[in-house]
Parts: sequence; structure tokens; C-alpha cells
Amino acid sequence: MKLKNLAQGFAGIAAFAAACAVGGSALANPYEKYADTTIVVSWPALAHFQAAETLVEEFTEETGIEVEIDALQYLKLRDRQILEMSKPTGDYDVVSWVVMWKGEYVSKGLLTPLSQFFTSGSLVDPEFDIDDIADAYLQNGGVVGGKKGYMPGKSGALYGLPFGAETSILAYRKDILEEQGIEPPTTYDELRSVMMQLGEAGIPAMTSRGKTGHQVTAAWLLHLAPLGGKIFDDQWNPTINSPEAVEAAQVLREIAQTGPTGIQTFGFGEAAAAFLQGDAALYLDTLKIAAMSRNAKLSKIDGMVGYGLHPVGSRCGSETGGFAVGIPANSKNQQAAFLFLQYITSKAGDQRMVELGGDPVRISTLMNNAGNFDEYPVVAEQLPCADPDWRPLIPEWNELNVDVLGQALTEVITTDKPIQPIMDAANEKAREIMEREGYYTWAKYRGN
Amino acid sequence: MPLSDSTDGEQDDSGRPGFNIRSLNPYLFIFPAVLVMAGGLVYPVIDAFYLSFFDWKIGMPFDTAPFVGLSHFKRMIMDADVWESIWVTIRFGFWTILIEMVLGISLALLLEKPIRGASVFRTIFILPLMVSPVVVGLIWRYLFDARIGWINYYIGKIGIEPQVWLGDAELAFFAIVFTDIWQWTPFIFIIVIAGLQALPREVLEASKIDGANWWQHILLVKLPMIKSIILIALLMRLIDVFRALEVMYILTGGGPGRATELLSLHIYNRAFDTQQLGYASAISVLLILLVFGLSFAILVFTDPLKEKSDI
Amino acid sequence: MRGVALEKVIKRFGPTVVIPEMSLSIEESEFVVIVGPSGCGKSTTLRMIAGLEDVSKGKIRIGGKDVTWLPPKQRDIAMVFQSYALYPHMDVAGNMSFALRLAGKPKAEIEERVRRAAEMLELTDYLARKPKDLSGGQRQRVAMGRSIVRDAYCFLFDEPLSNLDAKLRSSMRTELAILHKKLDRTMIYVTHDQIEAMTMADRIVIMDKGIIQQVGTPRDVYNSPRNTFVAGFIGSPSMNFLDGELRGEDAVAVKGDGFELPLAPELAKRAKKTRGKKVVAGLRPEHFAVEASRAGSSESTYAKIRLDVSVAEYIGSSQFLAAKIGDAHVTAAVEAGPASEPMSSGNYLFDTSRVYLFDRESGNAI
Repeated sequence: MKLKNLAQGFAGIAAFAAACAVGGSALANPYEKYADTTIVVSWPALAHFQAAETLVEEFTEETGIEVEIDALQYLKLRDRQILEMSKPTGDYDVVSWVVMWKGEYVSKGLLTPLSQFFTSGSLVDPEFDIDDIADAYLQNGGVVGGKKGYMPGKSGALYGLPFGAETSILAYRKDILEEQGIEPPTTYDELRSVMMQLGEAGIPAMTSRGKTGHQVTAAWLLHLAPLGGKIFDDQWNPTINSPEAVEAAQVLREIAQTGPTGIQTFGFGEAAAAFLQGDAALYLDTLKIAAMSRNAKLSKIDGMVGYGLHPVGSRCGSETGGFAVGIPANSKNQQAAFLFLQYITSKAGDQRMVELGGDPVRISTLMNNAGNFDEYPVVAEQLPCADPDWRPLIPEWNELNVDVLGQALTEVITTDKPIQPIMDAANEKAREIMEREGYYTWAKYRGN
Repeated sequence: MPLSDSTDGEQDDSGRPGFNIRSLNPYLFIFPAVLVMAGGLVYPVIDAFYLSFFDWKIGMPFDTAPFVGLSHFKRMIMDADVWESIWVTIRFGFWTILIEMVLGISLALLLEKPIRGASVFRTIFILPLMVSPVVVGLIWRYLFDARIGWINYYIGKIGIEPQVWLGDAELAFFAIVFTDIWQWTPFIFIIVIAGLQALPREVLEASKIDGANWWQHILLVKLPMIKSIILIALLMRLIDVFRALEVMYILTGGGPGRATELLSLHIYNRAFDTQQLGYASAISVLLILLVFGLSFAILVFTDPLKEKSDI
Repeated sequence: MRGVALEKVIKRFGPTVVIPEMSLSIEESEFVVIVGPSGCGKSTTLRMIAGLEDVSKGKIRIGGKDVTWLPPKQRDIAMVFQSYALYPHMDVAGNMSFALRLAGKPKAEIEERVRRAAEMLELTDYLARKPKDLSGGQRQRVAMGRSIVRDAYCFLFDEPLSNLDAKLRSSMRTELAILHKKLDRTMIYVTHDQIEAMTMADRIVIMDKGIIQQVGTPRDVYNSPRNTFVAGFIGSPSMNFLDGELRGEDAVAVKGDGFELPLAPELAKRAKKTRGKKVVAGLRPEHFAVEASRAGSSESTYAKIRLDVSVAEYIGSSQFLAAKIGDAHVTAAVEAGPASEPMSSGNYLFDTSRVYLFDRESGNAI
């Protein structure tokens, strides 16, 4: 409420200034035409977006475009957005989605392709430089309709810009590794031997998620891509019993055996807490661990953390995720909304987000701030090999994720049974689901 | 000597012929309650039944959900995961109810007499019952936590290795059974102690004079006299076992694997985690039928409400 | 000594003394009724004999054996409760045989004893019924039956008839008396109803405030009450008490407000020995008579007395008069012929041979 009043105040001033400036010339600035327009933004009530509220105020001050923010709890966001975007005219002009939802939004025709704005010379800031935005973020969060629908490719189109995106990096306790005379691991072989060494020294090695369901699957997926594995081949045949997938499961089992006690019950919060409270030497997951480790309320290890690239297996492949922002098809203020997107993801906006405590999406921002944040150079180096296909974004993924992989991988980390048969059984289950959902109709059609 | 004295005032005088408009009154008065029941109970059940014929993935508009007839039910019968959940539920119900009954009844028998400190103990003992299930789940999740939990801390003091209580199939099952017993034994205790205290004193004295020893007194007189109360408590716990969700959801989420995934939690996970609302509805229809059948069987075979008029 | 004996028994509940000190001996096969108003300690006494209450001090013997600290089941007693106290989950046969089954008696013997008791109480047709399917009187008989099959040394009854209606109660009284004759066992019966006491007892124990006021046969306690409490408690309607003073050196009469009655020689002799002149005269209502009916009698012991009648209740054989002598309220029961009119104030007769005198201070009989 306070924010809104403030924004209106600024808008008034801005409108007055604009009115003075108009005088005789046609357009004093590219925003003038949309001054006094109010756009409504729907995004989650998460730290990055809360930090962005100041940037939004500055946007209104500068442009005269008023912004109303509807910040919802992350879990309620999707239902609300779908509801608004399905109406003939909805309330939202800008929506922020988790990358997983993009396919659904586009397939239902709820989003406007950004190409129609990028063709407008009066709207696009020549200095915007879309190539500076980390490609992995842009492809993963904004491009829809490429290979498999969610991957980059010629059939794809741009629907959103990344905002609040993240990737996986390795965080380690400098003090512990130094004391043990261990170099930070850069490959999976090194990682496994480091975990072994730490385990033998009685130090909990790497923390990880491990709770049954999507948590344990998320942990495994971190290792699947770098080790060269995939969930499906190009014909939608599941490959979760491939040697690479089995190796990823083996790594996960080793993590559970050498890591802090209780990994089998850890969700994201517990896994991070184990690292932040000094009960683990290594952390391999989102870059957000860096900000958390600097937060005295959460962390006992500020200043003791070093960062490295996600270890490389047969290839370099970190995870990407987080949010992107785009414009609903039923928005009445699409141009103003585009100006807003452009503003918050511009070089200046991105830099401002760093200053406000958010996460940048541009390589240049990462490089410019490398001196202030230890993890930035690592992230900048990490992003080029981030893998947008680290898990499939199809409706059936939920079931595979929770019911099939979530169960099989629990068996991997809570028992000593041989891994191959567990993954074979899971693969068979996955195939049944894909069969049931009709993914093999093309193959059968060809076969007949 | 009069044999069949006719002073029996307990026979009712029903069977009087004729229709009385006032006999409609009771129905009139319970009508609002019936309406609320219908809205809050019957409608959701019918809706679940309806949904079970559609393949509705949550978040999709319902009109795009294809009608699939009975295929969900066919799938369910072949679904090993469903049967595993049912088996978990049965094992959970067996152990929790057995132990809760034995513990609750024993404690009630021990604390029935007004000995010093009994009332204080009774008050403390029923506290778990007043704690909301979500809080129970959180409390025990902390206590059982492998890394920072009290239980590992204290067993560490006596030289036992820390255990991953909620991450091992057997330990996690033990943990949910233990938590349930912690929470629900007081329920049995309260019901049984209320029943015991309502027993007519003279009948109990008669049994002492008739020569019953301590065991005979309890097994042949006290317990049979509160049989109906025990059966009602049993029935309520049995239904609760199929309803229980919150504590397990927070404590283990059903894991590891499906080791603690009760049928209700399985339905929840299917509906909201894997987002197959139609299929989850079909399983919930099975759950409803199970609970209904069970309740019906107990009511028919034991008729606790009728027996109650004995006392 | 056989029978049942209480020796200097004291009972306290916390600081409250319920039985100050009581001694009582009951003969074997005797039917003793303990009677008194509610709260007089009669039930407590019975429960101490049964072993349901501990004594605070003193000894209890049953059949010569000291049972003071034995549990009920080792006392060889059977008890019938006011509420019948049947086991609701057992049928009649089950109720009656419970004690025998607990005692591990052979099945055939149990059956035989239950059969006999059921026959005696005419319960044979009801053996398979649950208590809830029986009437109050039937339940009462089952409770009796449960005691009978025990064949205990001593039977205890705690107001067993008070939940029955009047008609049933009187017939059950008779049954009980017959039962006592058949069984020939010691029976101790507690009641607040003096009619039950008078009709059934070999001896009556009258209690008040935890103290035995008098022990004696029904005849004794009616004719020679030891004090005003016993005199007032036994007899229905109860005795009228009038304050009065003894007249003359030889105490030939008692005079009070509105009356003067000559004393019988025996009584006068006893009264002469007492120090004070202040007494209470006890007049039983049934010893009043209508003047006309006794007028002709030659050796009359009747004296005139004036009654100011306020209400006359016709109850068939007699009329109950609520009346005043002087300022004192009295009740009189006078025989009345079939056609008699409601009686009114006037002179009535009183049988002076039936006058009781009590010391006004102590309340003890003179």
C-alpha cells in the first residue's frame, strides 16, 4: 500500500515534469506516451522480487508509468496467473513464471511473443544488448517451442526475459579443505575422492537434498547432466537406467554415505542449513547459497566459503532455473509492460538489482561486480555451459519426478541394494507412463 | 409371591396407531444440520466420485480433461503403489491401535483411583491431544531430526550411533507409529477413564464380594462393562488411521520411499505432488469405501450404541 | 463365639468420626436389622462387616474368625445391594453363578446350585435373560439369587427393597423372611424403614449419629424404648411427646399444658425415684380412643384428654387426627366404625397404662 502511494506520488511528479518538457517538440522521451498508464505486475514474494520493489519505484519516478505489484506466495502464483490470463481481459500486464511453467503458458496461448515489441524502434532501447544476457537463462526461461518444446531451437520463439534466474555452482569451506590439504574438486572424479577423503577424516563431506519425492530427484539431476546422462533420448525413450544415470545415482549414494547425517530426510532448506551451520564441507546446488552464507541470521560460516564451477564429468553442465518475466496475451498495456521488462533487465537495471541484493542475469553485470562478490566470476564462467535440458518440461514430468525417480532414488540412498536393477525398474515404470500418455504413437505409426 | 409384576416402566409405548403431525417436528429441527452435512460431506464425496471418471491434471481447465470411464479404477487395481500404501496403512493401524488400546486402557486402570499426583499426571498426559496435528508433526520432526534432533543427542550420550530416524524405512515407520501413539494414547485414556469412573460403584463392590481377584475384577467385570465405550474408541481410531495425514505429511512426507505413505497421504501426493487429480479421486473413492465398509462392519457386529443402554 | 461380632469398632473418614465406638454381637442364624435415619452410620457399619470399608480401630469377627483385615472374598459373606448391582453384561445365570465360577467350582455343581436358587426365587424362566430385560422386582430376586447360590455364612443386605414400589416391597419382605427360615443363615439387614425392621427382624439395632441407641426384639423396642429417639423412631405414626411435670410425692400423675394423666403404679414407682419433676410424656397415637367406645368398661385405665382437632384423615380402619393438646401438636389414631363422621374437637380417652415417661434432660426412659 505504502509502495503504491509512493509510486503514485512519483508518478504525479513525473507527469508534471513530462508536461513541462513537452512544450513544442513531439516526444521528449520514449516513456512519455505511456506516462500515467498503470501496469499490474504479478510475481512471487521471494527475496529477489522484494529487493526489486525499490527498482520499480525508480522506474515509476523515471518514466511516469505507474506499477502495481501483486506479490503472491510462490505456491499460489501459478493458479492465480492462469486464472487472470484465461479471462478475455485480465488484470495482469506483467507475469513472472518459474521456467517449468513456460510450456504450459505458451501452449494455452496465454503469453505474447516478445518479437512484436523488439520490432518496434520506438520501444526498443538500442543499448539493451540482449546478447549480454546469459544465454542459458534466456533460453531456459524465455524461449518456448524449440526442440522438445522447451529447448532452444529454430522453432522456438522468445516469450520472456530472465529475472531472478539462477544456476548451480559448487560452494566449499575454504578452511576445512585447507586444513585437510585438499584442493577444491573440479571434476566428478575429484569430487568423489574428496568426499572419500573427508569421510575418512570424519568430516561430513557434501550436503544434499535427499527426501523422498522431487527433492531426491533434484539432487540426482544435478549430477546427471554433467555425467552425460539424460532422462529421455530424442524418441522419448526413458534413459534413466543408462550407465550415466546409474553413475549419477552412485554419486548420490556416496554423497549420502559421506555427507552429514540425515541427508535422506533433507529438503532444500535442511540441505542448505547443514552447510550454513557448519555441518558439511561442500554444497552443490543453487548460487543462492552465497547470499545465504553472508546472512548472519542463517549462517555461521560467513567468510569461510569459496566457490568453484559445478564439477565436470563427461561434460560441463550445470542446472539453470528460477524465474522469467513476460507479458500476458490479454494485457491492455503491452507496450508499457514491455518498457517495464526492458527497464528491469537492462544493464543499468541489472546493476541496480545487484546493489539491492538481487541476482543478476547479465554476464557484464557479473563481471563488473566480480570484485565485490566471490561467486560472480564463477557464475559468469559457469553460465555458458548451463544445460537447459537437465530435466524435461512436460506435463508427465511431475509423475516421473515424484512417483518414479523420487521412489527409486530413495531406494538408492537408503539401502545398499545394487543400483542398476533399481534404475532398470524405474525406467520400465517411466516407459509405462509415457506409453499411457501416448508418446510412442509416432514410433508405432512408423513401425507399422 | 407375585412373579411377573407389571410395574415395569421401562417398556416403551410405541406401536400406538395413527399419524401425528407433531411427529414431523424432529425432522424439521434436524433439517439444517442435514443440510450442512450434505454440503460439507456428501457433496465432496459425490464430487470425488465424479472426478474419478476424468483424467484431470491439476491446473488444466476441467473442460479439457478427457472422460476416461473406469480406466482409473482398472489402473488402480494393478497399481502396486496403491496396494503398498494400503499395506502400510494396515500395518500402521494394527500397531498404533493395538499399542494405544493396551497403553490407554492400562493407564486408565492404573490412574483411575484418586492417588496423589494422579490428577496432575492426567492433565500432563492429555496435553498431546490438545496439540494440533501440524504442530505434532513439527515437534517430532525436530525431535527425530538426524542432525540436530534431541533423540540423536540423547542416544549419543549413552553411546548409540546417531540414526537417520526419518530416512530409514524401518526407523521412519517406527517414528510415525511412535508419534501416533504419543498423540492418541491420551484419547483412549480419556475415553476409558471416563467410562470407568461412570461405572456403578456397587457392581464393582459386588464383584469383590463375589471373590474376583485383581485380574478377574478387571477382565471379567470392568472391561466387559465398558466394552461399548472401548469399541467406539476403537472405531474412531480405526477411521482416524485412514484419515491421518497431517502428521505424516510433515514428519516424513510418506518417505523414505513409500515406507510411511499411508493411503490418505498417497492420495494427497498423487493429487497435488504428481498432479493427477482424477486418478487420486479414484483412489479416494476406494478409501471412502474402505472406511465405510469398516465402520459398517463394526457397527453391525458390535452395535456399541445399543449395548450402551446396559449400564 | 460364632455369629458376627463388632468389638469396639471406630470409623473415621479423615477428621470426621462416623462411628465413635461400637460393639455389637449377632448370633448365628439370627436376622438382625440395623435401622436408623440416613447418615446414622448403619450402611458404613454394614460395609465394614463386608470388608468394603476398613475399620479405623477395633475388630470384626465373622463365624468366630477375626476378619478385620481380610478382603471381602475371604469373609464368607454374600451381599445384596440397594441398586441390585447386577453385572449388566451377564445373563441371570451368569450373574448368579459368577462367584461360584470364580471359586472354580465344578460345572455340574454350579448348575445345580443355580437351578435350585432359581427355583426358590421362581427365576427359572429368566435364566438366559440380561438384567436390562428384567423388571425391578425380578432384578431384585436375581440379586438375592446371586447371594443364595453362594451359601455364605453371613448375608448382608444394604437397603435392598428401597428401589421397589410399596406393594412389591411388602411382598418381598415376606419372601425374605421365608428365605431366612429356609436358609437358616446369619443375616444382617440395613434399612431406614422401621416397618421393614419390625416385620423381619429377630432383633433390631437402632442407630443414631453412629451410636447404637437400643438393641432388642421388635417387641422390646416398641414397648420399652430406651429413650425418646427410639420411641420416636419405632412406631407409625410416631409417638407424641408432651412436656409435663410429675405431680405429688408419689408421682401419681403427669401434668402438662392441657392434660393431666394418672400414671400406672409400676411407672409411678419408677418415676418416684427420679430426682427431677420435669419429664416428657410419650403418648402413642394408637392409644387414643373415642370416648363413647370405652365408656362402659369397668376396670378402665382410660383417662379423659381434650384434643383440638384441626384435620381428620379417614384411612379405613381408623382416623388420623392432627390435633393440639394445649399448644403442642399431636397425632392420634382412633378406631372408627364404618359409618363414622369425620371427628372433631372434644374429649377423647387415653390408655394411661400405655403412658411413657422420659427424663426431659437426658431423654432416657423412666
